[in-house]
Amino acid sequence: MKAAIVVIAITVSFAVSLSAQWPKYSEPGIPRDAQGQVLMDAPAPRTPDGKPDLTGDWLRADRDPRPPELSGIAAEQGRGSRAVVVEPQVQQFPADADSPPLATFWDIGTNVPGGVTLTPWAADVKKKRMAIDSRENPDANCLPMGITQFHMQPQPRKIVQTPNLIVILYEANYGTRYIYTDGRKLPPQGDPQPWWYGYSVGRWEGDTLVVETNNLRGAESGPSDGWLDVRGTPYSDQATFVERFRRPTFGKLEINVTVNDPKSFEKPFTVRINQRFLADEEPIEAVCNENQQFRVRIKVD
Amino acid sequence: MNTLRHLIAAVLGLLVASAPVLAHHSFAAEFDASKPLKLTGTVTKLEWTNPHTWFFIDVKGEDGKITNWGFEMGSPNGLMRAGWTRNSMKVGDTVTVEASRAKDGSNNANARTVTLASTGKTLFAASSQTEGR
Repeated sequence: MKAAIVVIAITVSFAVSLSAQWPKYSEPGIPRDAQGQVLMDAPAPRTPDGKPDLTGDWLRADRDPRPPELSGIAAEQGRGSRAVVVEPQVQQFPADADSPPLATFWDIGTNVPGGVTLTPWAADVKKKRMAIDSRENPDANCLPMGITQFHMQPQPRKIVQTPNLIVILYEANYGTRYIYTDGRKLPPQGDPQPWWYGYSVGRWEGDTLVVETNNLRGAESGPSDGWLDVRGTPYSDQATFVERFRRPTFGKLEINVTVNDPKSFEKPFTVRINQRFLADEEPIEAVCNENQQFRVRIKVD
Repeated sequence: MNTLRHLIAAVLGLLVASAPVLAHHSFAAEFDASKPLKLTGTVTKLEWTNPHTWFFIDVKGEDGKITNWGFEMGSPNGLMRAGWTRNSMKVGDTVTVEASRAKDGSNNANARTVTLASTGKTLFAASSQTEGR
């Protein structure tokens, strides 16, 4: 029986591997068993200077409740037909008692006890965004979709870690984040030109990479700026983010994101995004703007 | 072995039940989930492009009149991960599409599944309406 369970577990983990454009290639330097399966619970790799190495391709491993916006759909759920080919599921991790509430893609505060408390300004911004069906969502307009939507996108992201700079390359909308770990300080808030990705510096606290970001383009900058989720929970140009990255095992990346934004929230809140290592696959090119017709079709341009 | 069979069923059920789907998250601005469609026709054109793949089919009405319908699917990366290749569907193929119609009443819709008449195989369309992601 135990063997059967193992077989099923392997089948499931195999099923979540993705077929991409690159031919299958077994990446070197990855801990594997005799069958070539990645040992996800092996220790996280370390760089020559002893820091955990976050380098690799990662897929979000959390699930979202189905949003009521889509409740009219007669979904494939329950159809039970094996003839239906579906996108592979990313295997979730067991619940972690030490975890902050899991972030959710449609409405970031869904799992926060009591929800996140919006200021009247932020509540009004969100209401207006939802009233037009989130059509200004940067994701729907091929624009940089903000730290939390990028972390939660189902497409993979590739982290490249060097001693002085960590780069996160998102398959979705070709996003690119630069996180400087060379000791520089953040520019004073409100001083430089605000950016879609803000300005990010990272430092190591033990095995945790702590990334601080400021000078972001907030919701004041434009209709597609300052989105935390699909429903348009906003952040303002006063927002700062703290992300704590941990790789407790080879296969798991934990990202705790704290949003500090007194203009949008009555108090800061922290949510978790879990990611699973994606072995032997590469991101797929996805140039969002090659045939973007959305705004023409919905007749806003 | 009954337990094993149940386990396998549960695992398969899990895989089928809630496909996470690559999406462009603009569904509600453009399509109406309460207007489902099921149409069969012949593929006339394919646009295997980002951010959404589109295909068009000629559908013959009861009066014999042919109408061309356009269907949005997910992005090529999402479709590939859902088992598609750019050769899965070709011009001239007969397909049956389950979809949600455009809000503006045009002959456009967001495809949920596509069944190829030649193989009987049903593929998810990796569009934003099939799952909340």
